[in-house]
Amino acid sequence: MADGLLLECNNLTKHYPVTKGLLQRTIGYVRAIDGISFEIERGKTLSLVGESGAGKTTVSKMILMLERLTAGNILFEGRDIYKLSRHQLKREYRPRVQSVQQNPWSSMNPRMRVRDIVGEPLVVNTKHTRRQIRTKVLELLEQVGLAPDQADYYPHEFSGGQRQRIAVARALALNPSLVVLDEPVSALDVSIRAQIMNLLKDLQDQYNLTYLVIAHNLATVRFMSHTVAIMYLGQIVEYGETEYVLQEPLHPYTKALISASTLTLPEDQEQGVEPIILSGEMPSPLNPPPGCRFSTRCPVSKDVCLREMPELKKVENRWVRCHQ
Amino acid sequence: MSDIVLEVENLQTSFFTRAGEVKAVGGVSFEIHEGETFGLVGESACGKSVTALSLMRLLPEPGGQIVGGRIILDGINVLELTKEEMRKIRGSKISMILQDPMTSLNPVYTVGDQIAEPIRQHQGIVDRNVLEDEVISALRFLQIPAPEQRIHDYPFQMSGGMRQRVVGAIAMSCRPRILIADEPTTALDATIQAQYLALFNDIQKQTDIGILFITHDFGVVANMCHRVAVMYAGRILETAATSTIFKAPLHPYTVALINSVPRLDRKVDRLYSIEGHPPSLLNLPPGCRFAPRCPDVMDICYEQQPEEIEVEDGHTVSCWKVK
Repeated sequence: MADGLLLECNNLTKHYPVTKGLLQRTIGYVRAIDGISFEIERGKTLSLVGESGAGKTTVSKMILMLERLTAGNILFEGRDIYKLSRHQLKREYRPRVQSVQQNPWSSMNPRMRVRDIVGEPLVVNTKHTRRQIRTKVLELLEQVGLAPDQADYYPHEFSGGQRQRIAVARALALNPSLVVLDEPVSALDVSIRAQIMNLLKDLQDQYNLTYLVIAHNLATVRFMSHTVAIMYLGQIVEYGETEYVLQEPLHPYTKALISASTLTLPEDQEQGVEPIILSGEMPSPLNPPPGCRFSTRCPVSKDVCLREMPELKKVENRWVRCHQ
Repeated sequence: MSDIVLEVENLQTSFFTRAGEVKAVGGVSFEIHEGETFGLVGESACGKSVTALSLMRLLPEPGGQIVGGRIILDGINVLELTKEEMRKIRGSKISMILQDPMTSLNPVYTVGDQIAEPIRQHQGIVDRNVLEDEVISALRFLQIPAPEQRIHDYPFQMSGGMRQRVVGAIAMSCRPRILIADEPTTALDATIQAQYLALFNDIQKQTDIGILFITHDFGVVANMCHRVAVMYAGRILETAATSTIFKAPLHPYTVALINSVPRLDRKVDRLYSIEGHPPSLLNLPPGCRFAPRCPDVMDICYEQQPEEIEVEDGHTVSCWKVK
């Protein structure tokens, strides 16, 4: 294990059984995640990118231990988290891995004051006195750019951006090592997004935080992350340093995604910058295509793509899953 | 340039609530030509959607009311029409696509029935076979595969992208002159969004329809619109051709908004961020509505609302800084 490695995921797999009838016979599996491996260095950001149904959120749930693995393992600081005892989990793993959810309107109890929302992790996980918690909460609020006198407000008194700040403060309460950010800015307005993204970056520098970001917006990813993994139908199709992957994409799906999120002004279109438009939609994970999972929509697919699943291979400075 | 299909002049829409009058749209003017896509960009609660609902005269009642201005659609003053006359225009001359295809279709009718409804209403076609042909051609027009089978599907049997095409087929079924698309792709995935937008560019080339495209996404604006208006707190601050908005924006809000969007083609360490929040529409500042957040604010900005100035042909700005 490299010195700076915080999280290592090997061959993560999650299959949900599909049952039918009175006896709940298993008639098939939804292959939500099929053999995903990645690693995150301490103080860095990895983004998982993909469209809905790609399995991004399932991966994050497995890391947060809200879902059990079907196969594979997750190493946190070199230790397999699924082999930790309950006690070790509660003391040594869960407090160090926190999350910020996508929708700040549903991730907070509307009947709790901000003070209690941010302080709750401290009440549960530490033996701090009330006074200590009080001081710590005010400190946290200040760090995320909220005024101390707002501590007694309820969530409904805040705008979306401010609520997301509260969620960040709550995630930071226990000094975590890893923060899982599930679409942290996609529910926010453009001008507010910039504020939150800057805040997240500042906090990362300040506390050497490690982020796992779930995102679908590539421009956000480019701004936030050091490495990026592009997912399609439960698999990683391209994985490497953000600059390499987004500047010179190799996988046809990555190329299409980039094309879909690039600004093309009318005159660029006249200059012949043709957007890549994929045909069709993502197939069902219940019944994925036999060969490459992207073959049904791939503009450059060949016979071999329909028959054989390509391996994730190292090409120059990144990993790609493609026959070509 | 080609004919003007829709002209909006100083449109003002308010909601009368217990707390007072909420001036959701405070004097908005623009026009849309034949075959043109006109973008209306802004953040949430800036009045984009209320503008759209005012054009359709579908404001929630009681409460919502158009308090001033004119809307001229194809030579007809929409605000002078009776409810019955408006019903005849809605869906046939002006139609609308809403943001969320999950909620804008009726779950208990087949998509075929739902597309047939406006055709029956507006074109008086009652013969089942003719109607079915019309429905199938409407689905084919939106490039839905195997339309003959699809007409018997219920919305839940379709994916989000397909459902949004059905919504498009309903809106386009009577070949309207103006289509209002209110964030039609926000609920769709990136590659599906690209498909949908390409489809609309195709449709426009075939029909010469004028599209009012409402969005908060500058990427979509760049790909879709010929001209754009930037809205803030119920007013249009700047209107220009799309490339002008991106290359030479003049209003500080436009500049800030464009700079605060992360770009795929550029690596930056910090994003520009606009401090503060938009003003409450219940209690608007007397001067420029952007003044409290503006980096280039002057004394006059707090006192007087700036007039709209035409800096060059087709580029108008409301800002004291711009002379």
